Amino acid sequence: MIRTGSLAERRAARLTDGDAAARQIRRSTADGELVNIVQGGQFVSEDPDLVIATLLGSCVAACLRDPVAGVGGMNHFLLPGADPARGDSENISIGVHAMELLVNALLAHGARRERIEAKLFGGARMMAGLSDIGDRNARFAEDFLKREGIQHVGGSLRGDSGRRVQFWPVSGRARQVFLADASIVREAAPVAPAKVEPAGDLELF
Amino acid sequence: MSKTILTVDDSRTMRDMLRLALQEAGFTVIQAEDGVHGLEVLQGERPDVIITDINMPRMDGYGFMKGVRGDPQHRATPILVLTTESSLEKKLLARDAGATGWIVKPFVPEKLVDAINRVAA
Repeated sequence: MIRTGSLAERRAARLTDGDAAARQIRRSTADGELVNIVQGGQFVSEDPDLVIATLLGSCVAACLRDPVAGVGGMNHFLLPGADPARGDSENISIGVHAMELLVNALLAHGARRERIEAKLFGGARMMAGLSDIGDRNARFAEDFLKREGIQHVGGSLRGDSGRRVQFWPVSGRARQVFLADASIVREAAPVAPAKVEPAGDLELF
Repeated sequence: MSKTILTVDDSRTMRDMLRLALQEAGFTVIQAEDGVHGLEVLQGERPDVIITDINMPRMDGYGFMKGVRGDPQHRATPILVLTTESSLEKKLLARDAGATGWIVKPFVPEKLVDAINRVAA
């Protein structure tokens, strides 16, 4: 899942990475390539003309980049909600995993952990009355950056409307548009958590 | 006597999650932040099982495992790799560096505890 080695190898890895590929849609525009990611997806690039985009409701997208290495990327995740029988640790582990995958993908492209800067978007309160899933996602992402010593340089969290976010991974520029109609976000981003099987199994050598 | 586990991971969040999961299972937990730190810790400790990440600054998991295997005190200590990686190429590198087993993140506490008990037996 993590890209290392030559560019050709990385391209090959991307093509065979079925799960991540299913969570992104790629097309060319007059200005360069546009990659749309959905929940559970991530994309990393060193192409200055490429833009990564996503639609967010209560989900959070972390946009990370290393300005020196000239590489950046975006993920899009949702903590699935605490199961009272198991506590919150499994829930948090989904978010930790999403962040670690993105950080590792940047490192594989030559980034250095201490140079990585982050913008966070999303975490909106999409439905009144229910527990605030958006705030929990936003808090998780903020805490994660703090714990890991990653600079939080901007973005836009919480509020009560969905967002369309675009991120240019090399320049670090980001743009967001608030969406008036919340149903757009719900249709675009199915809430089933990303499939992470067969994680956690032991393979003996 | 409870078993002692050394975990080596550069992510503070991951270290905290591992400590919590392993202490809840009754293990004694010692921790290091990268390969260099891990080898330092091993000069004064004799863990029953070592769990290490692969992608780390200063010294990665491969270098760390080679260092562990080069030390007669720890030559036979089981080492489990716990990583986001799952490529065959990397597994082979890890096996050659001295890994006992490989677990893909995100880790599931019960499965991790089972794995530790299997290799420590």
